[in-house]
Amino acid sequence: MRKARFWGLLWTSFILELQGAPTSETKRTLTEGTHLMEKCPVSVNKYLYYRKAWQRLGDRGEIQTLVNTELTSGMNSKVQMGRYILDDMPREGIMYIHMSDLRLEDSGLYRCVIYQPPKAPIPLHQPIRLVVTRDPASHVDSIQNLAQSSTLPPVTTLPPVTTTTQGRTRASTRPVTQPMSTASLGVNPTHKTDTPRISTTSIITIVVCGILSKSLVFTLLLIATQRSFGS
Amino acid sequence: MALLCSLLAWALLALKGLKAEDEACCGTIVPRSEWGALPSTCARELEVPVPYVVVSHTAGSPCDTPALCLQQAQNVQHYHVRTLGYCDVAYNFLIGEDGLVYEGRGWKVKGDHSGPTWNPMSIGITFMGNYMKRVPPPRAIRAAQSLLACGVAQGILSPNYEVRGHRQVQQTQSPGDQLYEIIRKWPHHYEE
Repeated sequence: MRKARFWGLLWTSFILELQGAPTSETKRTLTEGTHLMEKCPVSVNKYLYYRKAWQRLGDRGEIQTLVNTELTSGMNSKVQMGRYILDDMPREGIMYIHMSDLRLEDSGLYRCVIYQPPKAPIPLHQPIRLVVTRDPASHVDSIQNLAQSSTLPPVTTLPPVTTTTQGRTRASTRPVTQPMSTASLGVNPTHKTDTPRISTTSIITIVVCGILSKSLVFTLLLIATQRSFGS
Repeated sequence: MALLCSLLAWALLALKGLKAEDEACCGTIVPRSEWGALPSTCARELEVPVPYVVVSHTAGSPCDTPALCLQQAQNVQHYHVRTLGYCDVAYNFLIGEDGLVYEGRGWKVKGDHSGPTWNPMSIGITFMGNYMKRVPPPRAIRAAQSLLACGVAQGILSPNYEVRGHRQVQQTQSPGDQLYEIIRKWPHHYEE
């Protein structure tokens, strides 16, 4: 009984490994100061008369609505909130998002949604992982940059949320963004400035070991099972 | 016993790495010259790989033999070129109830099937007929699916391409209630 259960578990995990994990985010990498333009298709037959929004998703699941439309007439509308523009063309089945003058602290997870407070938003497509990288042409010392930008109040760049209504996490928008931005600041500069030179052979070795290790683990588990339960 | 199992494990994992889209049977498209198409004057090309496929219906007469479908393809093109003034038949491919795919603008040329937003980023395939109350026969559905698999195999359609019904991208009844319900079940269909 115990043996059968063990085998079952082993094969289940093996098969799951075979299927692989589907990609669940679209990645966009842009240099600071540049502009993000995102196309979000929206089904005309379902959402012609619905409002839309562009939201940022925090690390702990917090949702922040950055810009949203007001119209439910099916007509085109273009809304601007600070550095964010939402250009909605409902009868064309598409909406465009523009984020201008990208900053390092803009790095994070975003998504287009059908916006229907107080009901939960409906995500359109998979979220977008935005990675804003330091401008390589910048001459300023990178350590100085880090000190400067960490003292900047990133919250002032984020617009006040207009449709506070009965939304859940609205009151916490300002305090929320600070931990997010410092976390992202912590990741980006170290990647850029402190990465040591790794030899090609080490990289190849690590990659090959990674690929082999998965199958090796299963092989070892199989052998171990055979030994412990006898066959 | 343990050795056999471990060998099996290695083999399966290796196979997983090599697995690819296999249905590359691209030979069943009726070319323009065969169905008597007027020459195209279209110039705009599509950017490859194409991320979307839009499925529509002509809302016109169906055809269930190659002879009838050949005529119908000509009719559709004549209407688009002579009456609507397009550079060619609007669609990239037409599917007949005879189970054959008719080459419209093809894989490389931008169509005029779904408006200025979607035309430059999609392949437009149409089923010849009106599918509000009827469904196309299974051989027509198969022809469409094999055409799309062919598109992926040729690297023209993105492997993660998304299918949308015409009514999802424009205000229209196309591709008809019945056909729309069918394509909603296709693996590459995207609902939102």
